[in-house]
Amino acid sequence: MKNRHGKLSYGLFLFPSLLAIVTVILIPLLYGIYTSFTNSDGFNMDFIGFENYIRLFSDTQFMTSLWVTIRFSLVAVILVNAIGLGFALLVTQKVGRIRNFFRTTFFMPNLIGGLILGFVWQFIFIQAFERIGTLTGIDLFSGWLSNPNTAFWALVIVFVWQMSGYIMLVYIAFLSKIPQELIESAQLDGANSRKIFRHVKLPLLAPAFTISLFLTLANAFKVYDLNLALTSGGPFRSSEMVAMNIYNTAFLQYQQGYAQAKGVIFLVIVVLISITQVYFTRRKEVDLT
Amino acid sequence: MIPILFMVLVACSNNENETGDGEEVVVEFFNQKPEITRQLEELAQTYSEQNENVRVTITTVGDSEGAAGLQAKFTSGNPPALMMLGGTSEIERYSDTLENVSDLAVTETMMDDLLEGGYIDEQLLAVPLNIEGFGWMYNREIFEQAGIDPEAIETYEDFVAVVEDLDQQKETLGIQEVFAFSGADQGSVNQISAHFTSPEYHRSTLDAYEAKELKWEYGDRFKKYTDLFNEYNVQPVLSVSYSRAVEELFVNDEVAMIHQGNWIVPTLNGIDPEFVENKLGILPIFGENDEEARIVAGAPWYIGVNSDLEAPVIEAARDFLDWMYLSDEGQRVIVEEMQFIPPQEGYVVENITDPVSQEIYQEMLNENNSAMTHNQYPDGWFQLVLFPEYQRYLDGYSTWEEFLNNTAEGFEEMRAY
Repeated sequence: MKNRHGKLSYGLFLFPSLLAIVTVILIPLLYGIYTSFTNSDGFNMDFIGFENYIRLFSDTQFMTSLWVTIRFSLVAVILVNAIGLGFALLVTQKVGRIRNFFRTTFFMPNLIGGLILGFVWQFIFIQAFERIGTLTGIDLFSGWLSNPNTAFWALVIVFVWQMSGYIMLVYIAFLSKIPQELIESAQLDGANSRKIFRHVKLPLLAPAFTISLFLTLANAFKVYDLNLALTSGGPFRSSEMVAMNIYNTAFLQYQQGYAQAKGVIFLVIVVLISITQVYFTRRKEVDLT
Repeated sequence: MIPILFMVLVACSNNENETGDGEEVVVEFFNQKPEITRQLEELAQTYSEQNENVRVTITTVGDSEGAAGLQAKFTSGNPPALMMLGGTSEIERYSDTLENVSDLAVTETMMDDLLEGGYIDEQLLAVPLNIEGFGWMYNREIFEQAGIDPEAIETYEDFVAVVEDLDQQKETLGIQEVFAFSGADQGSVNQISAHFTSPEYHRSTLDAYEAKELKWEYGDRFKKYTDLFNEYNVQPVLSVSYSRAVEELFVNDEVAMIHQGNWIVPTLNGIDPEFVENKLGILPIFGENDEEARIVAGAPWYIGVNSDLEAPVIEAARDFLDWMYLSDEGQRVIVEEMQFIPPQEGYVVENITDPVSQEIYQEMLNENNSAMTHNQYPDGWFQLVLFPEYQRYLDGYSTWEEFLNNTAEGFEEMRAY
């Protein structure tokens, strides 16, 4: 009796979120997959089979976008995590009150939306950098957003600046969970701080890596707002990432079926990469208990 | 949380239907130009006050999101009664649900050249919103100081001589460079191309819309102009944005010319109220040959009436459109407050707000303008092909030959799809 009641309330409590997932994720996803087999322009659609998917393979701009996105994600993931971890180690040092100030400061960029951030940095890259360039006479500073190479790095810089503070929080949480006695006993055994980091902290941080890598990877792959506000894909579509490429296909060319096909492929890629990453980093995790 | 949100939303929309006494007709106007939202709302309010039981509401989704926003309105099952449409291709997309507006009183007063762009299958489905025109916007004061008479430019060679002259006097004039072409702005690139595609399509927006290919018959002239401005432009040209060109370099007398249209007038007025009156001028471009110069002018926006609504709503929507363009209040708001160049014949030229707009209106009346062929390219072509390819050429990454070939190829492909 009690059990049945429990099941009922369990079901009742589950229902709202289940409904939400079905209506805003599952149904649109299935409908999206169906649309990818049509020539939808957002208004009318006819079933055309795999034509969109076949077309994808000869779409050089899509391939370029994919390649840019992969390069961007790789660089961004490494930098964000290295810097985030560095920040976390810094602000968990025992330096008194000031560390809270630094925690807040490092986290701050994350509170600004990607769009605003993009415009702020656009100003920095175009105006401030240009000014520095003319003052110092160093050519490196001029035309950052108008050169494909530097535009790419500009995106990386802003993304890293935005994400590092956030990832820092994850690392802080795990660093402060490491039992003090483990570190003390390592010290008693004569380990210096570098060794403690390498052999005690790092293995215990493995779950943090799983989470942080997943978060940065997924975010880097899907970035759109920053891309739009900072470079808008320019110069000449060299910094157009996949999300933007899909949006442009759907809302500039009105080939929404084709855009959906790109979206499905994109989804598959992101899921595959994320699962692989989680699988491999999970294996490195150690259990304290 | 989300289901609750749904319920709240559903509850809200129910309420909306029940308000009023059941006879009130609500006409929703879908606006894609954020800069005129306030003025449109003023018009809507005046009209609603004068007409009992009719309420006109304005929905604005602007800039590059407008077209997607309009589509969202339709797919959500809540389409507007009046909608601003960006050129023939958008009119065609909604052609199944647009009223034939050829019998509207306002249609009679519109310029024929402009109406052309509103025809789909020989049915007039939309009327022009306003006239816009563009060319080289120049600083009259700088020209004067340099001792140049813009009226005396009669051939392309004259124009080149003027540019070289300005360049030599750069220091005394206190300008950075002669030009500030916005190489970072896709709109500017799209617009300048119209000078050179208009002659190929016989200065007809309809021909341009129906064209299956772009042969770049006047491509060599395009190259001439491109190389000319790029040589004397603020560099790197690809990092000159629209706002930098207009709101910094041009208005502060740091360059003599930018390629823009009369839409910069309100912005300039906002920064320096004297500038437009005293310094702003417009120069035409020799797009077809060395002797004949034209500015591009036409109607980039149209207004359509949704035919898929109840009869009283359609009736009210049509009436509002007539009132907006034919009543004194409507005309006053359009010319003085929106600072539009009206799409109708019969205005006194001097009543139009600024000298450049007057000139554009006059050129339209004289039918001496180039057509707005840049609004008739295949969907997405200028953003995804023309703009990036042009940037590549400007920055020296590709040759002109490659530019012509790639853009022509993209044009044909995207038109066919």
